[in-house]
Amino acid sequence: MVLLVYSEVNQDSNLNLFCFFCFFFVFRTLGRQSVCLAKPQYSVLYRHVAPMGSTAKEEMNKFWDKNSRLNRPMSPHITIYKWSVPMMMSITHRGTGVGLSGAISAFAVAALVLPGSYPYYLDLIHSLSIGPFLTGLAKFGIAFPVSYHTYNGIRHLGWDMGKGFKIPEVYRTGYTVIGLSVITSIALLMI
Amino acid sequence: MRKGKVKHQVPDLFVTFCFLSSALFYQSTLLVRPLAVPHKHQEQPYLLTARIHSSQNLQASSNSKAASLHWTAERMLSVLLLAMGPVAYFNPGPVIDYSLAAALTLHGHWGLGQVLTDYVHGDTKIKMANAALFLLSTITFTGLCYFNYNDVGICKAVALLWSK
Repeated sequence: MVLLVYSEVNQDSNLNLFCFFCFFFVFRTLGRQSVCLAKPQYSVLYRHVAPMGSTAKEEMNKFWDKNSRLNRPMSPHITIYKWSVPMMMSITHRGTGVGLSGAISAFAVAALVLPGSYPYYLDLIHSLSIGPFLTGLAKFGIAFPVSYHTYNGIRHLGWDMGKGFKIPEVYRTGYTVIGLSVITSIALLMI
Repeated sequence: MRKGKVKHQVPDLFVTFCFLSSALFYQSTLLVRPLAVPHKHQEQPYLLTARIHSSQNLQASSNSKAASLHWTAERMLSVLLLAMGPVAYFNPGPVIDYSLAAALTLHGHWGLGQVLTDYVHGDTKIKMANAALFLLSTITFTGLCYFNYNDVGICKAVALLWSK
């Protein structure tokens, strides 16, 4: 749901604006692009408007209740839509976030449950004589998700301030994030 | 503002989308991208905005800025967590250990909350999932604080891990 409608094909301003509003909707930035209808000269449009009085949450619940009740299959989206770099980066951001959160929670549970102390378990791992390659791999496995999630997080914060939405910018910042993540992870490996 | 007929489908749908999305986020005013205001007050059946329902006050059910404030809090916490990184590196100690425990747990809790909101549907399921998440986060924070108190602490733990 979060991933859709990145359009890389076009420079068409309508679709670019459409993408912008998708970001607007998803990331909830506060850019004003519309006209206030409260002014009297727009009163003619009110004739066609009826107040709804329900929230987005209620509307979404209604959608899901109805469609699951009717046992409707999910419409193909990620299986048919062409995957793009921004889409992949977005789901990777989510994946690393969930993964890191899970790892922290697992660590916390282990701290509560396991009898020994942390240095004890570290020495235990030491004594397994894993070898430099696998050790490096494990370090990379920790460093990369942290780096990627951090750098991409900064990119997200940029979007939250309304910056960097143009498609070329999205790609440029995206590749920067990937590059920085790899470099940082390798650098951290060396320490 | 153009006079006369609306010619294209795409701009209409686009306006529809703008209308909906802006209406959702500007609850106190009704916003629309100007498309075509009929100068004669006739029915124009192809004017798609006519079929959009919108509420001038979408917060009719609850006049709460909770969601908006939550969003802001999430971003502020992210910035705070970002700042904690260098502090933890240059000034390790119990203060930053406990701050990190709190910030990491909360950031993860809110992040996972968003994931649940995206993928879990149905009132009961949502409630159960959020309850489970709350439990997980509580256990996580407890575990991290326990580790900070009874063991080496987060900063030292990372340093030791990396030294191997």
